[in-house]
Amino acid sequence: MVGDQKSSGRADAVVRPIETRYALSGDVRIAYQVVGQGSFDLVFVPGFISNLDLHWEDEGYTRLLKRLSAFSRLILFDKRGTGLSDRVDPRHLPSLETRMDDVRAVMDATGSGRAALLGASEGAPMAMLFAATYPERTRALALYGGYAHFHKWVMPPDRLEAFIATAGTAWGTGATLPNFAPGRVDDAHFTQWWARFERLSASPTAAAALARMNADIDVRDVLSAIRAPTLLIHRRNDVRVDPDASRFLAKKIANARLVEIPGRDHPIWTGDVDRVADLIEEFLTGERAVAEAERVLAALLATRIYDTARVGDRMWNERSQRFQETWRQLVGRHGGRIAGIQGELMISRFDGPARAIRCAAALRDAAQHMGIASAQGAHVGEVEMRGPPVGLMARVTMQIAAHAGRGDILASRLVADLAAGSGLHFIDAGRVTVDELDEPLAMVQATSEQHLEPACRPKARPAEPAQLTARESEVVGLIADGKSNAAIAAELRLSEHTVKRHVANILLKLDLPSRAAAAAFSARHTGPDGP
Amino acid sequence: MLTKTQSVDGAAIKKAIEGRDGRMLASFYADDALVRVIDRNNPPSKPREIRGRAAISTFWDDICSRAMTHKVDTTIADGDNLAFTQACAYPDGTKVFCAAMLELKNGRIARQTVVQAWDE
Repeated sequence: MVGDQKSSGRADAVVRPIETRYALSGDVRIAYQVVGQGSFDLVFVPGFISNLDLHWEDEGYTRLLKRLSAFSRLILFDKRGTGLSDRVDPRHLPSLETRMDDVRAVMDATGSGRAALLGASEGAPMAMLFAATYPERTRALALYGGYAHFHKWVMPPDRLEAFIATAGTAWGTGATLPNFAPGRVDDAHFTQWWARFERLSASPTAAAALARMNADIDVRDVLSAIRAPTLLIHRRNDVRVDPDASRFLAKKIANARLVEIPGRDHPIWTGDVDRVADLIEEFLTGERAVAEAERVLAALLATRIYDTARVGDRMWNERSQRFQETWRQLVGRHGGRIAGIQGELMISRFDGPARAIRCAAALRDAAQHMGIASAQGAHVGEVEMRGPPVGLMARVTMQIAAHAGRGDILASRLVADLAAGSGLHFIDAGRVTVDELDEPLAMVQATSEQHLEPACRPKARPAEPAQLTARESEVVGLIADGKSNAAIAAELRLSEHTVKRHVANILLKLDLPSRAAAAAFSARHTGPDGP
Repeated sequence: MLTKTQSVDGAAIKKAIEGRDGRMLASFYADDALVRVIDRNNPPSKPREIRGRAAISTFWDDICSRAMTHKVDTTIADGDNLAFTQACAYPDGTKVFCAAMLELKNGRIARQTVVQAWDE
């Protein structure tokens, strides 16, 4: 019940921000977050750079963190000198030991006596050092794309200098992305996120200094001291860290098992995140993650900008890009996932139809603020879990969006049926013939939640006033008598909520702005059979 | 078999939980006991199930390794059924509240259902 109330609130209230706190390590404050309610603790030791706030703005990162926090109490932090943690003097960067001790400080602050550690990339040597130093506080060790010696398995000194030179001149532009995730360089949105990730995680000087400091990493000596059960995961064609690095770890750590998986992008939150999460979950809980069926029931939302011809080419480019940005944000905020872009149609996927419709309403408002109009279609059915939106369900949704008028949120009747009880309102919108379906599909139109004074009334209205139902006619008559909703409810033996709903539908059908207007309409049109 | 050093009752459970004594807690369970946990991530239709004393020992070890305070407030006993509520707090202020229902068999816990809610 509580969840229902929350999700019907304003869009930005849907996802509660994760609280960031600070642990004192020596005289440096380390930013951390705790998510999840599992019976054991899992500390995520990030790689090169990180930013606790920014992680939640990337789909892959969020996916990873949500998966991990579903079975553990997940403890996240930014290493000193990075992200939200205190800056450090780039000329006197802390040793690996000092940074490793930040893990302990964060664990103390969160009351974690013993935790599993997930070390990714450069976080792996830190996690290994922790496991060797504090065996009694290490429940298990999961190392992704890790290494024990930088120059041997990450880059030799000459390549390091070239990397630092790039970082020095082009830090904050996303120029380091090809070094980490070449598979994502064509993804404009991700490239932009990566550039922000650079800027918000470290200053250029700090980044160069961090890279130099990481180059000193050599924990080969401590490997034999690690007693904790260890899982090693490495992508076979990892561009940043040679898979031999993990093969070496597998040989040297007593209780280790290596799993090599396909892929070349290095960051743990890129590529097949679910595969990595599955392995970690199975290792730490002893139970295989409940396999997600390939096909799931989901709501799809297709969003387009209405009447693109009216907008000039240049303006179109700017606005469509801005709108696309907003679309990504709003979809994420409403708990949806970006499914892809097909031509002018932006497709997103939601667990439930109500979320899809609420997101659609937020998108409609956002478009209006930008001086453009949206047209959207929603449908519900089974879709493929992964990959681009293909298949019948996606094609039907896109056709529905194509039928939608200016500002419209057109949905199949099924969406309205499944959203019953969500507080959303729909009005009948006839039937639409869809290719590949034998019968025309019954449609509804989602109406604004603040129906009495809609902020954005679709302009395209049928010329003749829509037919009111018998009950709606009764309600209009009573409105004309000056009765309140409560009084009408009492008279017709309906709930006040139902009356409100009738009033909203009446105003929409008659395209009227207020009750007073409805009363006037009634006075003008009353005949022997009512309006 | 474990020596029965401590009979299972509200007072014993309170003492073990508040003292974060994982080993003692684990000894209260029957070999084939089942603990079911219902929370935000484990909804009633798919609760988390911890089966057998070994898994339950790990579960309590994990929980007792946390430097947090536990307070068992209300214990109600009725024959072989026992219920209690538990208020917990992490050092950073995060609170957790649990309600537990237990079924005893031959003096050991055979089934336990925990419903918990967290500050988040």
